[in-house]
Amino acid sequence: MIATNNPWRYVAIAVVLVMFLLPPVWLLLSSLKSQAEIFQWPPSLLPQNPTVQSYADTLSRANFGKYFLNSTIVSVLSAFLSVTISVMAGYALAKFRFAGDTVFFLLIMSALMVPLQIVLIPVFLVLRDLGLLNTLAGLIIAPAATPSGVFLMRQYIVNIPDSLLEAARIDKTPEWRILLRIVVPLALPAIGTLLAFNLVWRWNDYLWPFLIITEQDKWTVQLALANSVGRFGIDWPRLLSISVLSVLPMLAIFIALQKTLMSGLMAGAAKE
Amino acid sequence: MSTGDRTIAARPPGETPAAGRWLNRLGYAAWPYLLLLPTIALLFAFTLYPLGQGLWMSLFKRGIVVVPQVESTHPVFVGLSNFVHLLDDINFRTTLIKTLVFVVVAVPLLVVVSLGLAVLLSPQTKFYAFVRTIIFFPSMISMLIIGVIWAWMFGRNSGLVNYGLSLLGIDAVPWLEDELLAQIAVIIVWVWGGAGFNMMVLIAGLTAIPKDLYEAAAIDNTSKWRQFTHITLPLLQPSLVVVFVLGIISAFQVYELVVSLTTGGPGRATVYLIQNIYETAFRKPDQAGMAAAQSAVLFVILMVLTILQLRFARKRS
Repeated sequence: MIATNNPWRYVAIAVVLVMFLLPPVWLLLSSLKSQAEIFQWPPSLLPQNPTVQSYADTLSRANFGKYFLNSTIVSVLSAFLSVTISVMAGYALAKFRFAGDTVFFLLIMSALMVPLQIVLIPVFLVLRDLGLLNTLAGLIIAPAATPSGVFLMRQYIVNIPDSLLEAARIDKTPEWRILLRIVVPLALPAIGTLLAFNLVWRWNDYLWPFLIITEQDKWTVQLALANSVGRFGIDWPRLLSISVLSVLPMLAIFIALQKTLMSGLMAGAAKE
Repeated sequence: MSTGDRTIAARPPGETPAAGRWLNRLGYAAWPYLLLLPTIALLFAFTLYPLGQGLWMSLFKRGIVVVPQVESTHPVFVGLSNFVHLLDDINFRTTLIKTLVFVVVAVPLLVVVSLGLAVLLSPQTKFYAFVRTIIFFPSMISMLIIGVIWAWMFGRNSGLVNYGLSLLGIDAVPWLEDELLAQIAVIIVWVWGGAGFNMMVLIAGLTAIPKDLYEAAAIDNTSKWRQFTHITLPLLQPSLVVVFVLGIISAFQVYELVVSLTTGGPGRATVYLIQNIYETAFRKPDQAGMAAAQSAVLFVILMVLTILQLRFARKRS
């Protein structure tokens, strides 16, 4: 490998940083320009007269607050639901021997081979039969079970010493209390990582809302975004500002939970 | 509730009535199943049952929703004829080939870029951790927005890419208006969006390689390149396989990015399998079976890849 103090290494790092930073920063800078300046050629790197006009337009015109609220409700509730059931299933698979345990494990893992993309039409029919079409409840419940979430929790809970659980059982502690008072507190780091990832997945999700929601006042941010692309030519000032606004919560989560996320990744957490 | 718990805990062992003990044992036996119930129920309802129904649908000519008044939506059993029709369905054939080309070009590129970033940014210091954080950030953004960001970057007379090229004296390149260039653009953007996450997976693998191997090699005056090919690559192989296989699986499903970057255009140049499945299903009232057959083909591809990966992982451990 290249020596750490090699000057070329720093040149390479600078190039890489520009390649990864410039596109999102350019989006942000452009969103702060006036209508006229956005399409000016040659483009100005920094906005000459920074304005939040496109943001004001977006926020006032397009029901955006509503979409933002819908996305928030769905991401938060769905993330909590997903983490809850993943902890339960991960605990069962990590700490109990019971008839069919391997079968259940393989069954859950086999779902990894079936992305939503390839079962879209039958899933649509299931949602319709359960009365979940056009409901936020559908968006919260339907994507909640994730094989990767169960797997992450199982891998973490396996390392909790059996002796702790056995000691509690000898004291006749009810099983649900063992789960809530011993397993959950000890698994908090993994729970935090999974919660953060779930918030990101659900906030960024496009396919489930695309499938479930048609009524405009139930749109999520991603649906609003997809609907302002391409249909009648692109309204760039609006699209740029919606994009920046919809990334802001992820940026906040990222800055707040950066350590949890990065160390969780290092520990081998997988993307959905 | 706490009072009840205390009474149970306070009762000396052995004093539980026989019936209560039996109930306890039953409760204990049922407990893991109860814990698994929500996950299994949801996966069954929204993944496994739909998979079965989708495979079953691929044997019928039918509409997405069966409407009693519309004759053409009624299911008619046609056996494997949907699959036979796929062979001479020009849209399916071209999108399948395009998707395969996309996978074959984009995945190795993703692996090489992620590996390069991982090697460059693996040192465990605060500075490198900071740089890694920035490179990882695009993984937090939805593919839709990544598409928006790059549609803006690639804009013909507004984008930064062409502005950069104009500074070098190169004429404006029609990135998203030319069929071949649009396909290249989709590959570049897909790699850009996935590199940060895969870099982290590979760095996790790199940090697991024992340092003394490199020290021993340095004492023997082994060149850096030989250290890379003889120590790093072989020992990183498990992580590389993960990145490779996950990359292939997600490349076969490329779609959301295209929605905002090219909407499948120009023409149908960047329509890949998933988009073609939707278009097939919604184009005519009786084509849901054909769409299901395409999904089945994609499912078999993904299943084979997953099984190959599991085989490989098991062989190593």
